[in-house]
Amino acid sequence: MHFPFTAIVGQEQLKTALILNVIDPGVGGLLVMGEKGTAKSTAVRALAELLPQLTVVRECRFHCQPDAELCSFCQERKKEAPLTLGQRKMRVVELPLGITEDRLIGTLDIEHAIKQGEKRFEPGLLADANRNFLYVDEVNLLEDHIIDLLLDSAAMGVNSVEREGISFSHPARFILVGTMNPEEGDLRPQLLDRFGLCVQVSGLHGKEQRMDILRRKAAFDSDATAFGVQWREQQEELAQRIVDARERLNSVELTDSALEKIVTITSALQLDGHRADIVIMKSARALAAYRGLPDVGSAEIRDGALLALPHRQKRLPFEELGSERGRLERVLEESLP
Amino acid sequence: MKFSQFIGQEDAGLGLLLNAVDPRCGGLLLVGGRGSGKSTLARLARGIIPAHLPFVELPLNVTEESLLGGIDLEQTLASGRPVLQPGIISRANGGVVFVDDINLLSRELLALLMEPQSRGMEIIQREGLTEQRESSFVILATMNPEEGDLSPHLADRIGLCAVMEEQNGRDERLAIMRLAKETPFFTVEHDREAMDLISVARGLLPEVRFSAQALEHLQQVVQRNISPGHRGDLFLYHAARACAALQGAADVEKEHIDRVANLVFSHRRLQLREEEQNSTEPEQPHDQDQQQNNEQRDDQGEQPPPPENGQDENDRHPSGEGEHESTVSMGESAQREEIMGVGAPFKLRRLSFRKDRRKRQANGRRTRTRIKGRGGRYVKSLLSSTEHDIAIDATLRACAPFQKARNRQGMLKIEQDDLRFRQRERRMGHLVLFVVDGSGSMGARQRMMETKGAVQSLLLDCYQKRDKVAMIVFRKDRAELVLPPTASVELAARRLAELPVGGKTPLASGLLKTHRLVRRTSMHHPEQRILVVLITDGRGNQHLTPETRKEEVSNLAGLLMEEPQCDFIVIDTEHKGNFLRSDLAMDLARQLEAEYYTIEALKSEYLAGMVQARMPG
Repeated sequence: MHFPFTAIVGQEQLKTALILNVIDPGVGGLLVMGEKGTAKSTAVRALAELLPQLTVVRECRFHCQPDAELCSFCQERKKEAPLTLGQRKMRVVELPLGITEDRLIGTLDIEHAIKQGEKRFEPGLLADANRNFLYVDEVNLLEDHIIDLLLDSAAMGVNSVEREGISFSHPARFILVGTMNPEEGDLRPQLLDRFGLCVQVSGLHGKEQRMDILRRKAAFDSDATAFGVQWREQQEELAQRIVDARERLNSVELTDSALEKIVTITSALQLDGHRADIVIMKSARALAAYRGLPDVGSAEIRDGALLALPHRQKRLPFEELGSERGRLERVLEESLP
Repeated sequence: MKFSQFIGQEDAGLGLLLNAVDPRCGGLLLVGGRGSGKSTLARLARGIIPAHLPFVELPLNVTEESLLGGIDLEQTLASGRPVLQPGIISRANGGVVFVDDINLLSRELLALLMEPQSRGMEIIQREGLTEQRESSFVILATMNPEEGDLSPHLADRIGLCAVMEEQNGRDERLAIMRLAKETPFFTVEHDREAMDLISVARGLLPEVRFSAQALEHLQQVVQRNISPGHRGDLFLYHAARACAALQGAADVEKEHIDRVANLVFSHRRLQLREEEQNSTEPEQPHDQDQQQNNEQRDDQGEQPPPPENGQDENDRHPSGEGEHESTVSMGESAQREEIMGVGAPFKLRRLSFRKDRRKRQANGRRTRTRIKGRGGRYVKSLLSSTEHDIAIDATLRACAPFQKARNRQGMLKIEQDDLRFRQRERRMGHLVLFVVDGSGSMGARQRMMETKGAVQSLLLDCYQKRDKVAMIVFRKDRAELVLPPTASVELAARRLAELPVGGKTPLASGLLKTHRLVRRTSMHHPEQRILVVLITDGRGNQHLTPETRKEEVSNLAGLLMEEPQCDFIVIDTEHKGNFLRSDLAMDLARQLEAEYYTIEALKSEYLAGMVQARMPG
């Protein structure tokens, strides 16, 4: 039993950023910067718990989506008979820091090879992660070559393996959630840029809020089921809202003037590349869908930019993260009257 | 998405088309910053080559065996004799090998990839099997220079190179967003029109004539674009022909040559610059076959971004400043403490180490190294080893041919001789220990700011290379370890900004403290390489012992020199315009066999870099 997502006190930006990724996985993941004990992993787990089940191909190691690109196994099976479908809860797959390359991308099934003399692909963590959340605590402490492999698949949505006599590829579309504490080492800017959104979290300081957290946590610990019942209505309401938003997403209007506003912001901040433009656009659109609006307005662009830009702004060397927030807010003020 | 929907970057698009028309154009390297669309464009290429031709992706996780091919476990078992399984190179024959982020791949693998391409022949030698087959494929690669360099010798093997320019045009940005809006997930569609265009051009190609005049012009272009070797000439010839064919011309005209010249020479000019830079460091060998050298160049790539206000660094010496400084440094009595700002950082001279072959357990990006143990990238299997873990895949392949002879029933029979071991590789960072003089002689505001700027720049370099950093400051009556070894360069930058200045110069204490830290580190991590960056004017005036100051310092320097894993850099902060210059730091550098720089020298490298960056091309 997980702590209900809707019962998490505060951390609105974090919650919104996660929800936007669920509504449109094209937003491209989330990097959470901040201290320990700020409900980061709780929030991710709780959100996965709340979401409706996925339709998957039954007995597929990659939980293939029946109407999308299939893995090589499913493609073979489909030729013989129609695929049987099943339902599955979205999961949070954790990537441990000491992970090896083999475990991440998959490897030769050794037992099978020795016993049967046949080579078979033993899927790795990226296979588990397909269509799920991939949660990487302290992503900045991962070994470099692991990060490279991870982001390679994240960018393309495919894991291609060429090693140990195996040549195999399978879909690897996941919502990447990384956390980091910048004091413990940095992430290369190129890697920062690969995360769609970024939020900074800190412990809540208001007395009232801290009391709320205590009260709820105590209630949950003493009787999780009763606590769950208490929050059921809010939970169901949010789940429905997310489902509706997903359906509405493609009909949300994005006018040229909205796109112009986005470019005005990114040009004013002199951002490199096009990811910033695209991520703001996608998150603003997901926000509009979530808010039940017919089109993307200034408020959505503003909020989308606040999530998409904190880690993309040009920083002076070693300027502290967050110090550029003022600059961002100034530009938003000027660009979005 | 279709190839023709890609917005902007005409040069890169042309490069792809030329290679599709004639593989003799030698492949294409797309160079661009993050989010510039290089990988997207490269993937779209799949939609313009005929469906029957292979388009093989070479992922970062590739091992040597998968690249070259090896024993096929299943078929060998089934037939009882060794059967080869084609590797990526064989599978790509006649088509394209796509390498995303080519500069993140190991140099050795890249050399293996490029060799059959230039030879036109693939030779496979595995477990006593030898096979030769013709091989021709086009390499399509991307790289982000911020992530590291591509060895110029490898880059030279790739025919064309397009630099993806910053595309800040408003209309283009809007158009790209509109496109992204419509395509939620990126998939490659075949581009009929482009394919038709290519196939027409392919038909025309054999008929395209290269007149004597055109050849003359080609020679002139080659002369203008001085580049080492002759590969460029040949690629220019083929690219110009392909360009003419694409435009439906029967003859190669001057404009065809001019149109493609940049594609041919942009990376070759870069290579030349690289070599000029390297030639200023005579102790480094230049043999192009020397792996070591390739490795080393590879590691010189990552450079900090230019500072916002780099230009005025140069004009910061108003004439009064020097006098002010000399009075302070002569007085040396400055007891006041002050915290100076951090001067603007600048682009650094490249600091790197010769690649060594010692095996280490470390993590970072400065030097690529072979390592023991189980971390790092599995690059290939070895025949024998005592310290590596077993490469089971390779062991199974090795034992496969003998199963019949060993009367296998069910499980595979593996013998000692079959065992293969994993060779892993990982880039290694260093501990960079900053030893900073914080005494009153550094107290001239300008001087300290510049020094901090220098340290800041070095820190940036460490950050990009994944080094650990530590900082010792000596001032007043002692040396202090203000930052124990840490991976957080951010923290180091903060300590640096807070660094107070004032008091006497206990240079000897600083050196002693350094020696202790070095000893301690090498006790815990005997394989850790340490770079000591000593930042001082060398004017120690605090004794530890009754010896003279000079003797004391030189004894300590001798002690430090005994540490085999240490390299030294001395940055002399003395103002060389001052007629009272003592060059004491230079003496110290000599004793430590250190690389020696004045702050000005570090900076002029930076300015030189700026000038180069502005050169056309």
